[in-house]
Amino acid sequence: MKMTKRISSAIIVLCSLCLLGLPQAMAANAAFDVNKMADMSDFDPNHPVIPTGDTIKIALVASFSGPAAVVGQIYWISVQWAAHDINKRGGILVDGKRKLVQVIKADHQSRVDVCKKVCERMVLQEKVHVLWGTDGSHLMKVINQVANKYKVIALCAASLSDDLYDAQNFSRYSFMTSFSTEQIGRAFAYYYGQMRKKEKKFYILCQDYLFGHQMAEGFKKGLKEYYPDAKIVGEDYHRLFLTDFAPYLTKIKASGAEVIYTGDWIPDAANLLKQARQMGIKLPFANTFMDEPNFLHAVGVKGTNGLVHVSQYGVEGGAFKTPEQIKYYKAWNDLWKAGKWGAPYNSRLYEHGTGNIGAYRAQTYWLLSVIERAGSTKAKKIIKVFEGDTYQYVIGKVMEMRACDHKAVQDLHIELYVPPAEQRQSFNIPPYYWYKGYSVTGPSFKIPRDKVLPKADPKLCK
Amino acid sequence: MDATTAMYVAQGIHGLAYGMVLFLVASGLTLIFGMMGILNVAHTAFFMLSAYFCYQVVAWTGSFWLALLLAPIATAIVGILVERFLLRRIHAFGLLFELTLTIGVMFVIMEAVKVFWGTENLPLPVPSLLEGLVSIGGMDYPIYRLFIIGLSLVILGFLAFILYKTRMGMVVRAAVSDADMVNALGINVPRLFMFVFGVGTWLAGLAGVAIAPILTVFPGLADQMGMDAFIVVIVGGFGSLGGALMVAIISGLLSSYGVQFVSQLAPVLMFIFMAVVLAIKPTGFFGEREG
Repeated sequence: MKMTKRISSAIIVLCSLCLLGLPQAMAANAAFDVNKMADMSDFDPNHPVIPTGDTIKIALVASFSGPAAVVGQIYWISVQWAAHDINKRGGILVDGKRKLVQVIKADHQSRVDVCKKVCERMVLQEKVHVLWGTDGSHLMKVINQVANKYKVIALCAASLSDDLYDAQNFSRYSFMTSFSTEQIGRAFAYYYGQMRKKEKKFYILCQDYLFGHQMAEGFKKGLKEYYPDAKIVGEDYHRLFLTDFAPYLTKIKASGAEVIYTGDWIPDAANLLKQARQMGIKLPFANTFMDEPNFLHAVGVKGTNGLVHVSQYGVEGGAFKTPEQIKYYKAWNDLWKAGKWGAPYNSRLYEHGTGNIGAYRAQTYWLLSVIERAGSTKAKKIIKVFEGDTYQYVIGKVMEMRACDHKAVQDLHIELYVPPAEQRQSFNIPPYYWYKGYSVTGPSFKIPRDKVLPKADPKLCK
Repeated sequence: MDATTAMYVAQGIHGLAYGMVLFLVASGLTLIFGMMGILNVAHTAFFMLSAYFCYQVVAWTGSFWLALLLAPIATAIVGILVERFLLRRIHAFGLLFELTLTIGVMFVIMEAVKVFWGTENLPLPVPSLLEGLVSIGGMDYPIYRLFIIGLSLVILGFLAFILYKTRMGMVVRAAVSDADMVNALGINVPRLFMFVFGVGTWLAGLAGVAIAPILTVFPGLADQMGMDAFIVVIVGGFGSLGGALMVAIISGLLSSYGVQFVSQLAPVLMFIFMAVVLAIKPTGFFGEREG
């Protein structure tokens, strides 16, 4: 009897440790420690405290003007948050003294020629140590080329193309901390083929350029591997910024598809979903960019119910498992709720600081942790620490930087969008829903990292 | 109606709906060019501005119908101000100056919407009266898209009436043919230009409001529609309303049936069509002036 009790106790302790993610923490070289986080109550993305002098300089290379300026704003608040936190802690000890982190806006205007110029200006004039980018793999490619030429670190936190890190384009100065196109496609295929095992007919609709085709290829490759019984009943590529999706949607409806897989990003993703629901098409979309609160709100609870989303900042079960995670969340959300941030940061897009914003913040913390452990802003020393490094995010997820091609190995999560009443499965603290006006993350399923390893070029990774 | 027929019919109606929106945008553009000889590059920026006005009116009042009335008028007022205080001053310097000025106006509008409304995607719902689907011979079709077709037909009829049945229309048509002669006959041509520019931007504004509920309103909206509208005007023939209508509908149908039958070519079908037409007739179908 006593033995049974002991075994039961041991099992309970082990399970608790698993839930807390402690085994992952033990595996990581470093982890984000919420208890060391500074008092962030004075953080204001519109009026950031910018340190000057001898600082660790990060150029935030992004669209800050033009139609995609919202992307730059998202990156800005995310990176600035991490910088503000570190600066309030007194900075990072590098090159023999404590230095603050200075984030500099570098507007590439979504143009390749401007991107090259602005990156070179950042390196040569501003003497930045890191180029942080960006929205658009073609622009990230330019950033990597500049980083390679001038031997500074580039962090690919937001571009998803696998080709950026193949043998032809690889630069030892650049590190991809985001997930990538093939991982996304394979994660969906794994979910549908190995976990859900229900829908079999898929329609692929992506944007007609390199990124869209790569997103489709990843999914097709994943289906072959994890779901050979699945059938692709249609495959189309539409032009960017399409106005009218009705012809594609009519074709999809007639195809008998059970799921629409799309790699579209906003505004295309928003218009696609909106028009599908207006046409009475209730099929689920498997996607990674249909997570923008404003348009989801417009589509409403019914229209967004059943969407399937892949996340690089997800967790299984409740999002808040430890007091530290709640503290981290509230540090952001309390500021937003208090209305301390002016436009554009007072919109619902910035309410929670999770999702992509969470991922960008975490990736920046990882970068700063690497610099701290390297004890230097010199690229060679940073590379030495970054290659093969493991780092645990505040959400418990452990990231690993694959040394051979500088791509992050990580678990991904498939999230099912459910109405507010069911969102407590994910948002497990009061008020027990993420958003009241639409369906969003409820159940979440972990896709283990070994099932979605980033695509590796055999010339780089043996 | 069986499923296959329903699909083909639906594609036809989609093409018609999109074509009519294109016509609304392109008609203003071609009217301004035909009358004033100005290639108004800022035209689609006015289209976008109206979508933002629409969003704002709906946000304030909750009424799409009020937005449908007010937003195009507000856009037309902006257009009239641009013509009166900017374009008129440099009209004597020729096409290049006017073209440059309209490019400038376009950039100002594109930046202004970001200042006033931010860079986020602003969603606008379909008005409740036009929500849902209607059955056409057993095929379900969105009511709102039918409304777009109906609205465009009403506007087309209104334009035709003004142009062909009123004195004002007669003067406009005469000015399209020979502005100097009309001026010599004692007509206040500058005022007429201002009126036409106002009507042109009003039409763009109407299109902006009509399409806002099926898209998200964002600072790239002008680019999204701009290329298609310019193709319609070029292929239809600069200054030709009939040409714009014909090509807009062809464009819409090419787009929808292109997706259905040759989806790989669908994104470029319009460009192929334009290249073929211009190779045979460089002035477009009904154009008399070269662009």
